[in-house]
Amino acid sequence: MSLVHINILMAFTMSLTGLLMYRSHLMSALLCLEGMVLSLFILMTLTILNSHFTLANMAPIILLVFAACEAAIGLALLVMISNTYGTDHVQNLNLLQC
Amino acid sequence: MNPLISITLLMTLILSTMIVMISSHWLFAWIGLEMNMMAIIPIMMKKPSPRATEASTKYFLTQATASTLLMLAVILNLMHSGQWTIMKLFDPTASALMTMALAIKLGLSPFHFWVPEVTQGIPLTTGLILLTWQKIAPISILYQISPSINLHLMITMSFLSILIGGWGGLNQTQLRKIMAYSSIAHMGWMTSILLYNSTLTLLNLLIYIIMTFTMFMLLIQNTTTTTLLLSQTWNTTPVMTTFTMLTLLSMGGLPPLTGFMPKWMIIQELTKNDTLILPTLMAVTALLNLYFYMRLAYSTALTLFPSTNNMKMKWQFHPTKQMTLLPTAIVLSTMLLPLTPTYYILL
Repeated sequence: MSLVHINILMAFTMSLTGLLMYRSHLMSALLCLEGMVLSLFILMTLTILNSHFTLANMAPIILLVFAACEAAIGLALLVMISNTYGTDHVQNLNLLQC
Repeated sequence: MNPLISITLLMTLILSTMIVMISSHWLFAWIGLEMNMMAIIPIMMKKPSPRATEASTKYFLTQATASTLLMLAVILNLMHSGQWTIMKLFDPTASALMTMALAIKLGLSPFHFWVPEVTQGIPLTTGLILLTWQKIAPISILYQISPSINLHLMITMSFLSILIGGWGGLNQTQLRKIMAYSSIAHMGWMTSILLYNSTLTLLNLLIYIIMTFTMFMLLIQNTTTTTLLLSQTWNTTPVMTTFTMLTLLSMGGLPPLTGFMPKWMIIQELTKNDTLILPTLMAVTALLNLYFYMRLAYSTALTLFPSTNNMKMKWQFHPTKQMTLLPTAIVLSTMLLPLTPTYYILL
């Protein structure tokens, strides 16, 4: 596996770790989600351009469209949480524990 | 909610699962799963409350993570095989990543932590959609990639799910959390047989959907969400207590009810493959599930639970709630055992 691929997979892993281990703000989780999708976009573009798979040139753009929709939903949920609690601290999300 | 928006969301929900099931291109299947998540989040927030917001956020975060992991597995597969067809995966890393992504989507252990909390925060009807319809799309992908799934990973996750589903449900009084733990345990049973005989996974999914649908319809009938409320149904609709007990026993897997069929077939297939410890442990752990179902049946149907005196003089109003398919569902979830040989239609 070439250095470029390792670089991008490291970027994905860093973002994934950031998503799973965020400290107090929900916003950082959404940002890490966007970072993951961005690294997937780059990886997909590299793979498709490298193998001259011209038919699949649209695929990264379609991926980006759905990632943007997902980000919009995430932000809408963040706004709802902000409406209820005033901040986006995740320790506020404790109503549903056993 | 505006009926036009409600219809659009429900149609998108149905369409997204159809897209996942019929697609042969990995990008299209991923799009179907994204649409699925996007359609159900507004349905969860129909009545905005802090609990619904929290449930939607937790659902969104877990499902979005799973979607990106799935996309990574798809791209790794593209790198190693050069094509996008939905068939077995050509790289063991991609296969492990995709299995874990689908496990997060289904709520298998060790990724099960969101299921009880999300099921608790949403209304009963949305909980029904979450626990039944949302399982179809990931299981259809698992069914299609089953030749390349790592056996050890799958068996570990499914056995852990059965254990967690059994033990987790013991300390619950909220019925939605009990149904969530029941869902985790059933997913464990379904995925344990995926690599030996995938037809039985589909059979178990079908029977599980019928039984969970029946249980939720019975709960929606009286809008009961706790054990205490369920134990008061002898006051309002006494005939529902019998049906509740039968459905609970069927979910526990007791013969001669329908719920015995998938468990029997799964144990038979596992023993045919010379794995004897696993089905023994699975069958024994299913007793934990049966215990909390029996506890519910005891307080609902087998005893007249004590209640305050003015409860006994309730007006018997004519029911105005729609009992969607309830008689059909009750019959299907208790009397299908003689039709066991017909599962060959799922082949």
